[in-house]
Amino acid sequence: MTDRFISRRRFLATTGLSAGSAVAAPYVITSKALGDATTPPASDRIVMGGIGIGNQGSSDQGAFLGSPNVQYVAVCDVRQKWRDGGKERVDAKYGNKDCAAFVDFRELLARDDIDAVHIATPDQWHSVMTIAACQAGKDVYLQKPETLTLREGPLMIAAARRYGRVVSGGSQRVLEDYRTIVEPCWAGEIGTIRAADISIGPPPMACHLPGQPTPPDIDWDLWLGPAAWEPYNAGRCDGNFGTGGNSWRSYVDYSGGSMTDWGAHNFGGLIFATNLRGQQPAKVAYHPRSADGKDGAYATIVYPTGVEIHCNRPQHLKPQKPSIAHERGIQIMGDGVATAATPVPVYKGQGGIYGDFLECVKTRERPFRDIELAVNTMTGIHMLAIAQRLERSLAWDRDAQAFTGDEEANRLLDRARREPWII
Amino acid sequence: MPFDASTLDAPFAALKTYDWGVDAAAFKPIDEAIAATQGDAAAKAEIERRLIALLGPDTSRACKESVCRKLALIGTAAAVPALAPLLADGDNSHMARFALERIPAPEAGAALRSALGTVGGNLRIGMLSSLAARRDAAAVPLITGLLSAGGTTAVAAATALGAIQTPDAIAALAKADPLAGDAVARAIVDARLACAEGLLRHGKRTEARAIYDQLATAAAGKPAARAIELAATRGIVACLDTTAS
Repeated sequence: MTDRFISRRRFLATTGLSAGSAVAAPYVITSKALGDATTPPASDRIVMGGIGIGNQGSSDQGAFLGSPNVQYVAVCDVRQKWRDGGKERVDAKYGNKDCAAFVDFRELLARDDIDAVHIATPDQWHSVMTIAACQAGKDVYLQKPETLTLREGPLMIAAARRYGRVVSGGSQRVLEDYRTIVEPCWAGEIGTIRAADISIGPPPMACHLPGQPTPPDIDWDLWLGPAAWEPYNAGRCDGNFGTGGNSWRSYVDYSGGSMTDWGAHNFGGLIFATNLRGQQPAKVAYHPRSADGKDGAYATIVYPTGVEIHCNRPQHLKPQKPSIAHERGIQIMGDGVATAATPVPVYKGQGGIYGDFLECVKTRERPFRDIELAVNTMTGIHMLAIAQRLERSLAWDRDAQAFTGDEEANRLLDRARREPWII
Repeated sequence: MPFDASTLDAPFAALKTYDWGVDAAAFKPIDEAIAATQGDAAAKAEIERRLIALLGPDTSRACKESVCRKLALIGTAAAVPALAPLLADGDNSHMARFALERIPAPEAGAALRSALGTVGGNLRIGMLSSLAARRDAAAVPLITGLLSAGGTTAVAAATALGAIQTPDAIAALAKADPLAGDAVARAIVDARLACAEGLLRHGKRTEARAIYDQLATAAAGKPAARAIELAATRGIVACLDTTAS
């Protein structure tokens, strides 16, 4: 149990205060507070808040708000419409006006009563907020892509471990959408996995949109956060998951583009199926466009075990009869010699990846998409992006968390954060 | 194909007049040239020279920002004299750091250290952020002096020392009271824990254990310091675990 759970319940037990005491008990105890056959009492629920309650954030909020194990108490968003909508949903659920609404996430994290937060902001905020939340003693459910740069991941893992926090990444698709390849691979049906092919989306683009008057309902400075200052434009910060220039997810300052967006799902699904989540790649081999121009450039991510993952390889270079394939551009080759089955890691608790997080908050186990596993996934994608940008092969030193012998590549490990943000 | 600098005349002219909202396709050839001149130091130097020339007062903030993004990738010590003055400029400080933080040359670190002593407020925190990212050992004495500045500057100074993790940084952090309870104290404790983790990663169990023992002892039995006690205890366990990676 979290120290917060222990301290709250132990406080009631050891100080003699109880529902019957006239000193500290509420004058009226609602039935919801006491719980019932399906709902734990309020004192046993995980107290949660949400940071970033936009498109995905409101969906995450809905999942947590719908759990009988959660007492949802606060929302935070720099945009008034999301903030108001998030508060309204919580208030409607509990039939009161008690949900707090913040613009600045630091104020939400300062709430001692909050056990856990879910974060669904643009990617430039993920590391700053996750580390701050861990330092504040909160468990974290963090939307994917969990990192924007390579330097961030180890710092986020360190913060989680240092304070004993449960930090879950947020790709619900990795387990749920890729079962058709996960189960046969883990069952040993295709034998030892040698290689795979995957389709990976394009990197982000620069944003050159003109400035527009900043509307009064957005804190633009806080929306940008650690990202470079550029003038407000609705096209910069609006949109719904688009990576073609129609939402923030398209742009390099706020996102890794489709490469990390869908990469977190698709690459994550492949890494899970091939049981590589615990590893980081050893190198990325870059294959330039063919001399005759018929084959475009592609790259191969190579793991220490020797497994090769070819990213966007030309069709005619792929095996014609893969051992197994997935509709999202994945095919896997095994050696065909059946191996012993290994149980597939699954979610703990009930309710998918959200329930997995909540269960782990209670049991203090590491969740299905523990931050270290999420960072390992993102590391492969970031390495791929850098190799493609520089158009050359790169070797990765996991201990040093740097590229071996490539100063230019190492310049791309991170980017300077706009003041006052520091990790 | 040999690099022909004249092919970039028009793109650089376009970049010089760039502002947000203007089509950036005109200067995309500069990025393409940067990629194409891998290993060509002379070509890179020529591109860098032209970029540096656009950091003066006659170009827009948007232009300077674009220039700094490119210098982050190819900038050398040659770019530092033009970037350094921008560190004190509220509009351009961050993007000057965007370049300087990534330029390995010692002159870049020197410029950031110099600015640390002259700028104030959030700009100073920006310098601390970049010096932390560079793990700039030479900055430790300057940063140590900021631990007593209080407020967000002191918090950032502690964070920076926790990233740099030299023996001097570790010693500076050890002098603070871990139980002061305020934001600065919490940051110092966090930095000390980070330093201990770094020591442990490098096999220096005795030194790491010393930090954990100090913190655990100071926090023992104090409810307000329970998080510190737990973190230090985890660290002690990690020091004992010979199989831990």
